Amino acid sequence: MAKPLAGIRIADFTVHNAGPFCTNLLSQLGAEVIKIESAMRPDAFRKPHPVYGRMGPATFDQVASTKLSVRINLKKSDGIALAKRIVGVSDIAAESFRPGVMDRLGLGYEALKSVKDDIVMLSVSSSGQSGPDSHFAGYAPLFGAWGGLGELTGYEDGPPVEIRHVMDHTVGMHAATAVMAALHRRRATGKGSHVDVAAREVAAALVGDMMLLAAAGGSPARRGNAHPRMAPHGVYPAQGEDRWLALAVTSDAEWSALADLMGRSELASDARFSKEADRQENRFAIDAIVSEWTAGKDAGEAAAQLQQAGIGAHASWTTPEIASDDHLRMRRAIVEVAEPDGKLRAAVGVPMRLSKGSEIGIDRGTPKLGEHEDHVYGELLGMGRDERRALEDAEVIY
Amino acid sequence: MTAPLSDLSIVVRASGVAAAYAARLLGTMGGKVLLAEPEGGTPLRREPPFLPCEDGQAGATSALFAYLAAGMDSEVVADAARLSQLLTDADVFIDDTPVAERERLGLDEAAIAGRYPQLIHVSVLPFGASGPKCGWKGEDVVIQHAGGEGNLLPNGLAVEMFPDRAPLKIAGHFGAMQGGIAAALGALAALWDRPARGGQFVDISCQDANLAVGAFAIQRLGDGSIEHRVERSFRYGGVIPCEDGYLELLTLEQRQWDGLVKLLGNPAWALDPALADSLERSRRGPEINEHIRAWAAVRKVDDIVSAGQTLGVPLARYKTPAQILADPQERHRGVFQKLPVGDAGELDVLVSPFHFDAAPLTLAGGPPPLKDMPVLARAKG
Repeated sequence: MAKPLAGIRIADFTVHNAGPFCTNLLSQLGAEVIKIESAMRPDAFRKPHPVYGRMGPATFDQVASTKLSVRINLKKSDGIALAKRIVGVSDIAAESFRPGVMDRLGLGYEALKSVKDDIVMLSVSSSGQSGPDSHFAGYAPLFGAWGGLGELTGYEDGPPVEIRHVMDHTVGMHAATAVMAALHRRRATGKGSHVDVAAREVAAALVGDMMLLAAAGGSPARRGNAHPRMAPHGVYPAQGEDRWLALAVTSDAEWSALADLMGRSELASDARFSKEADRQENRFAIDAIVSEWTAGKDAGEAAAQLQQAGIGAHASWTTPEIASDDHLRMRRAIVEVAEPDGKLRAAVGVPMRLSKGSEIGIDRGTPKLGEHEDHVYGELLGMGRDERRALEDAEVIY
Repeated sequence: MTAPLSDLSIVVRASGVAAAYAARLLGTMGGKVLLAEPEGGTPLRREPPFLPCEDGQAGATSALFAYLAAGMDSEVVADAARLSQLLTDADVFIDDTPVAERERLGLDEAAIAGRYPQLIHVSVLPFGASGPKCGWKGEDVVIQHAGGEGNLLPNGLAVEMFPDRAPLKIAGHFGAMQGGIAAALGALAALWDRPARGGQFVDISCQDANLAVGAFAIQRLGDGSIEHRVERSFRYGGVIPCEDGYLELLTLEQRQWDGLVKLLGNPAWALDPALADSLERSRRGPEINEHIRAWAAVRKVDDIVSAGQTLGVPLARYKTPAQILADPQERHRGVFQKLPVGDAGELDVLVSPFHFDAAPLTLAGGPPPLKDMPVLARAKG
């Protein structure tokens, strides 16, 4: 049995994280993704990344896993022609250059349509393909800053907070959804389309309720871990160095259950706390009471007790805790992937379970540069050994 | 242009953000969404903050509900027979009913699959519908910390200023919305497969979705490095305080660093030949940041951003929602659409971050009123 997107092929020109995460999700769902790069401009993971503190190439790159790799030098006209041949046998062409770059390369939507009339082209960029800021360069923290998510994240008395890779990846997951919608329309109408995803608009969409509040004359502001209705709500100290417990009480009944659990049943009927509005008004006092209780508890054990009592809670997990968790492994949200030397390491699966078809998720680790050229150039494009060698000599396949 | 999902019919039971956001995504792309509400309406209608009325008085329309439900139809579905009727004609059913209550309501996986063999049944829960924690509850703050990113924030300037404070969640409903996006993607993947395999059950866990978008922390773990919010700040750049607000600066490539040096006016410290090496810059990040912050503190955000972007330096203002609403870029892109929003009157509602064939998407209307309840009686109570 095949994965749901088996038979879909993607010519993948995306770089950095947002675009590659999109095509990685689709590859985990069964699409054949051909990653196009070159020795001149290899993907960022093949090089050191000192700003992030990585002083050498990565041996595994999550967003490149399960993809096929071919080399094409897009600075050569024959390279562009070769890229178009791949697009000609693909359903989707995905890119994440600055707007205008694909057109300048001769790989814009109209050019690709002339190669494959019903192609679905995905363009992911910081500000979209149109508008006065469309030429702006940007990365994840800038998307969050432009879109309001960064401004609204932070302690009430502190500065805004930069949103890191999760911003890139949520852009990628949105993009995957939009591409799937375009594929549905193609199935229904026979028509391809150009899907334009603006990362800063994704950031804004994640705080769309606050946009609406501002539109109505309200003044959204940073709230730390507080919630406008629930109290207690937040992240509380637990036993041990830098250990924390996240919890949220959603109703009076849950507050009563928490009061019992803390051995302070009288708090359930305390006039300062018994009703939701009162708890909100006295949230600093309630936070102090809850913190006193949590500080003496193991975060994991406390979370289990709270859940048992019907209150949503979880330890604030570190990465090693996540990587070894039974629940996540059972759901294949965490999987094992083999390194080139055969050593296994934890990786992240596609975030869904489907009841039919074969098991979705990562099939392979990170491809070597040009690892799948026999399949792509030989089998898919029918290129002979001599033709390939000539293109290698001309530094087109390079 | 025909909206991409205009032939799709979706029924959603949403008491939380994740299921509603999934339906919203599908709805903004053309799907016809019916919000099946319990008597009294979905709890989302009662979530503050409430939008002020046109006259400035306190209103009764939840900003969250209005945003999530804009463009949807609503019906109070009080009995199983009516829900059954709705599902018979639907392509997708999105549901966040807790696992423990599903069988009693006839909404469990087997019952739905038996009755509607072509239906895509999407379950959206904080920890999924299977696995040891499938019965666990989790609001957004809980999800973000169960998924890992919660423990890793804040970083940069905020953690420099407040190193001993509790970790911080991302604003709003980021964690729950990740579950919603995964649910929309899962629904469309299963629909793609429907001609071959018929309907199926899609099990979405918000925790899984948060972990997926935070995948790099797991990748770094495999590289032998455990991320911590205090250490994962950018070596230089990041959140920079200016005279009239904050900006974000991130230079990853050599040409961007060169542009930054020009922007700073080629100061002697930046022309140190050793700083031409990106590894050296990384090592001396705090020193570089001290210079950048001193320079920016006496300048205005827009002046820096405008000059910097011309030089190819990635810079952005930390914008407030009000600034975004008025921004020429968002106006040009048609990000917002004026729609009637309950007692708050006609407002700009954010539609979608997608354009198809160079055109923005549109919503069919504002949030639906609860048909068995007078508008002004809601929520205030």
